[in-house]
Amino acid sequence: MRPLRRRLLLVVAALTTVCLTAACSVVTRVGGANAKTYPKKDVVLVASVINTTNPYMVSMIQGAKALSKRLGVPLKIVDSQGSSQTEISKIQAILAQGKKVALMVNTVASSDAPTIVNAVKAAGGYVTIWWNKPDSFEPARVGNNFAAFQKFPGVVSGECTGKALAEGIGKKGDIIALAGVLDSTTSQTRVAGLKQALKAYPGVHLLDVQAGNWDPQVAFGVTQSLISKYGKKIDGVWAADDAMILGATEAMKKAGRFDQVKFASDGLYPPVVKLMKDHAGNDAVVGETFHRGYMASAIGLYTSYLAVTGKINPAKLPRDKRDSLFKLACVTPANLAEYSRYDDDIDGWVDTMVEKGPWNTAPAQLVGAGPEKLPR
Amino acid sequence: MSAATHVVPTASPRRVSPRELGEVGALVLLVVVFTALNPSTFVTLTNIRTVLDQASVPLILGVGATLVILMGSIDLSVEGVMGAAGMTFILLSDNTRKTVDLGAGAIVVALAVGLALGLLSGLLHTRLRVPSFIVTLGVWFVGLGIATLLFGESVIPFLPDGGIKAWPSHHPLGVPNSFLLALVIVVAGLLVARFTTLGRMAYAIGGDEQVARDNGLAVDRYKVLVFVVAGGCGAVAGILATMQLGAGSATVGVGNLFTTIAAVVIGGTSLGGGRGGIHRTVVGVLLLVVLQNGLVLSGVSPNVQSAVSGAVLIVAVAAAAWPLRDRLRIVT
Repeated sequence: MRPLRRRLLLVVAALTTVCLTAACSVVTRVGGANAKTYPKKDVVLVASVINTTNPYMVSMIQGAKALSKRLGVPLKIVDSQGSSQTEISKIQAILAQGKKVALMVNTVASSDAPTIVNAVKAAGGYVTIWWNKPDSFEPARVGNNFAAFQKFPGVVSGECTGKALAEGIGKKGDIIALAGVLDSTTSQTRVAGLKQALKAYPGVHLLDVQAGNWDPQVAFGVTQSLISKYGKKIDGVWAADDAMILGATEAMKKAGRFDQVKFASDGLYPPVVKLMKDHAGNDAVVGETFHRGYMASAIGLYTSYLAVTGKINPAKLPRDKRDSLFKLACVTPANLAEYSRYDDDIDGWVDTMVEKGPWNTAPAQLVGAGPEKLPR
Repeated sequence: MSAATHVVPTASPRRVSPRELGEVGALVLLVVVFTALNPSTFVTLTNIRTVLDQASVPLILGVGATLVILMGSIDLSVEGVMGAAGMTFILLSDNTRKTVDLGAGAIVVALAVGLALGLLSGLLHTRLRVPSFIVTLGVWFVGLGIATLLFGESVIPFLPDGGIKAWPSHHPLGVPNSFLLALVIVVAGLLVARFTTLGRMAYAIGGDEQVARDNGLAVDRYKVLVFVVAGGCGAVAGILATMQLGAGSATVGVGNLFTTIAAVVIGGTSLGGGRGGIHRTVVGVLLLVVLQNGLVLSGVSPNVQSAVSGAVLIVAVAAAAWPLRDRLRIVT
């Protein structure tokens, strides 16, 4: 019995060693700096978004479609339905279909990034991640198949809008803030930027920061409660994105204080553009940031496309083109017209981006390398 | 049917049980604690109106959900129904997308969408013998799919300022119109549950479906009807939530499923069916809404609000049910 068991153990150990060696060699082959590239006809563009109902996600889909049309390469949209599991399984299903994938994914959660990248890598595709990934998970360390990570900096966003709000209420007064989902790094960096900006305005007090979960309905309810708590003390409302500021403005309208309160937020959604253009509520919206879902998705997809077709070699790119921060514009009623014009010609913007490359197209040029540092 | 009226068991929704008093006690305790913590803000007219306005949507949903749960079934489709009905309503009303304006007709069509989704749940559940959990899960996504299609890729539709958008928060009778609407639906629900065959059948089916069938009752027909009622409640909630927000959103119902089911169960309606009632759900909804509002007012950090909220609920419900712990029906 004993020798038999020992022999069995030896066989199992040998097999395990062989398998592990084989697996490692496969990973090295497809994941290293010399990852294979493919002709355009073998490529499919894939854009993975968190849902298809949020206006920002809808904008991302528009950008992906415009790029697909411009390049003449087919496109598949993955609707993650807010679930990491759905996102990963749908991406895996597309990878299994055999075409070489140029993927742009707006990850549902940071922790999804390694799983998605590994699956893409194993299938010989290329991926660019937007917005969320763990800081320590760097494209340069993973290999060419993780072409890039890209985002608009959250701290700059918070600083922009925080400054505009403080100025908007006359450098003196009380404000409330609506964060996104609390464990989102995007929300955390924007709130940190707000607090950083307020340091320059000792007369402005941040009364409360509550979670609005990126949702107008939740933001509406939370703002109602904060109005109950602070009443007329509130001079300004800050939100980590425009979906929530829409809920907050509605709550203030219902409380009859819309024209006495100032608002600042991130994203310059079309309804907010309208509020600003119409000078609604005595110019209630005083600060915004401009960045667009269609710009993000087109830049991300195009980066992956250039990598999969061999037009760029990610290994030879400088660090800021692998882990990238893109320019985010601070918008006030004074310079609104400069930015609102882009939305009228998404196809035109994508054409320019294809001509100039993913890192050089105004107003979303590359401005620095990540990961983003929180201010102390 | 004449036999049916004789054998329908008279469930005892009229009696006020110690358990109910316990839940009301927990609610009163919460109010007392939050008043002590926020003497100048919690019991003010503004905040009472805020709480009532926030309670209106879950109250309306709670009426339908309670009837379904009384039957021993479950309805998970509320968020999908709300989205589909809400988007239908706004796109058929005067809105910034300038689609079409049917006036009050928009409410009728949106209601019909909700009733149809409820009918779909009911028919699939009874005809195909698929558990309500699975059927309504499917209908949830069907509803969300309809809402997403209606939302499309155009700009967000908004209701114009004033008019119907302002209606929910107006308070000509002292309390917001949204709460009055919820109150009307709750009272209607209570009357249906107590004085109609439909209500009694819900209790009978939840008490023991097989016995009800053996007695020749048209169990399936009433099950379908209850799901239709729940679909109608979902539609009204979706329309009201859209009016409150003033904008169309496919996900207008997000978060309401948990609040509604939790309110029904916290109120003391058994998930196994047959026991409980709409009046209990009202207490459950108020507990949840007051808790949420009170935590914000008390300045509890948002990072710990979820945990505090869960802990307070467990303590409140456990304390309310403590004297009856031997007699409770535990659903595992």
